[in-house]
Amino acid sequence: MSERQSESVSGIVLGERETLTLESLAGLCTVETDWVVELVEYGALEPLDPTRRQWEFSAVVLKRVRTAARLRRDLELGPAGIALALDLLDEIEALRARLRAFS
Amino acid sequence: MEYKDYYKVMGVGRDASADEIKRTYRKLARKYHPDVSKEKDAEEKFKDVAEAYAVLGDKEKRKAYDELGENWKQGQDFRPPPNWENQGFEFHTSGPGGGADYSDFFEELFRGMHGQAGGRARNVRMRGQDEHARIAIDLEDAFHGTTRSLSLRVHEPDAHGRLHPRNRTLNVRIPKGVRPGQHIRLAGQGSTGIGGGEPGDLLLEVSFHPHRLYNVEGRDLSLKLPVAPWEVALGATVRVPTPTGAVELKVPPGSSSGQRLRLKGRGLPGKHPGDLYARLEVVTPPAKNDEEKTFYRKMADDFDFNPRAGLGV
Repeated sequence: MSERQSESVSGIVLGERETLTLESLAGLCTVETDWVVELVEYGALEPLDPTRRQWEFSAVVLKRVRTAARLRRDLELGPAGIALALDLLDEIEALRARLRAFS
Repeated sequence: MEYKDYYKVMGVGRDASADEIKRTYRKLARKYHPDVSKEKDAEEKFKDVAEAYAVLGDKEKRKAYDELGENWKQGQDFRPPPNWENQGFEFHTSGPGGGADYSDFFEELFRGMHGQAGGRARNVRMRGQDEHARIAIDLEDAFHGTTRSLSLRVHEPDAHGRLHPRNRTLNVRIPKGVRPGQHIRLAGQGSTGIGGGEPGDLLLEVSFHPHRLYNVEGRDLSLKLPVAPWEVALGATVRVPTPTGAVELKVPPGSSSGQRLRLKGRGLPGKHPGDLYARLEVVTPPAKNDEEKTFYRKMADDFDFNPRAGLGV
C-alpha cells in the first residue's frame, strides 16, 4: 500500500438544475436500467417528465436511488418494499428535522 | 493485522447451518443498516456484519476461513499461513456488501491475491468503476466554499490485473451553494481503468455537521430566536445572526411564541437561495429580587389574562 502525495481536485455539484438520463443514473448507482424503470413503476421515484420517451431525472434523486440500491443489496427488499421504505425514511427525516428545530 | 472472529461478530456458533447464518444476517442487517437504523455506531456495526456474512455466507470462503482453525481470538495479531495463495481457493466478490470497504484481514485473505480484474480481463479495455464516498462539511462551508482533505481507500489493478488496496488523499474543492444530500462529481477520480481504459468518477455525497444555531430543511434554514415578552407584545427590532452576518429583524407587535418570521434569501445560497426562518421563543425574565417580584405581582393584578383559557378549566 502506498501513499501518494495529496492531489487537489474540484468537481461539479449534481444539484437541482443538473439532469441525468436513465442510463447515467443507473451507471452512477451501479445498477441496471431495468431496475431503475421498476423503481419508477412502483412509484419509488419519478422522472422529470414521465410522458417523454427519453426519461430524465433531477440529479438530486441520486441519493434516493443509491439508498434503494443498498436496501436491495443488504436487506433483499423488492421494489414495493423499497418504495414504502423510502417514503417512510423521508417522513422520519422530515420529523427529525422538525424535532431538531423545536429542541 | 488483526484476526476477525466472524462467528463472534454474527453471534453464531462455528457449527451454525447456512440457513441459520442467513437468518442471523437478515436480522442484524435490519437492525444495523445505516439507512434505517437508529443505533449508535450503526454504520460500523453493519460493516462488520456485512463482512462477516460475505465470508460465512459463502461456502468457499467459509471453508477457507474455517481452515485457519478455531484457536484465533478476535483482535489477535494475524498473518496468513504460508502458501495461503496456492490453496486453490477461488473467491468471487459479490453478494451483500459487495465492493464494500472491508478490513485488512478480509482483503489479505480473500481479495488481495484473487482480484477480479485478473485472468480473462487482461486483454480487455474497461472504464474504471465509479467510486462513492461521503463528505461532511460545516454549514458555513456551503456559503463560502472550502477545500476539504479526504482520505480514501481505493483498489487499483497492477500490471497483472490484480487489485491492490491503496490509500489516497484528495484535497477536494467544495463549491459554494452545495446542499446536504447532493453529490459532487469528480470526473476521472474513481478507479483506474483496466487495460488503459478511462478512470471512473468519484462521487461524494455531501452532508452537513449539525450546527449550533441553524437547522437545515432543504434549502431553508431555521433558527430559534429568543425574545422578551415586551418585544413580542409591543413589537421590536432585534438583531438576528445569519450565516452571512447579523441583520435587524422587525418583530411585529402582538407576535407570539412559536411564530416563524421569514428572512428572505438568507438560507442556503444558490440560483434560488433558501430563506431563513426565525422561530420566536418568548423567554420570561426571572424575578430575582423584591423589586422584580413586585413588578410581576403588579402584572398579575393589572392583566386580565388566563393562559389556560383554551383548556376549558
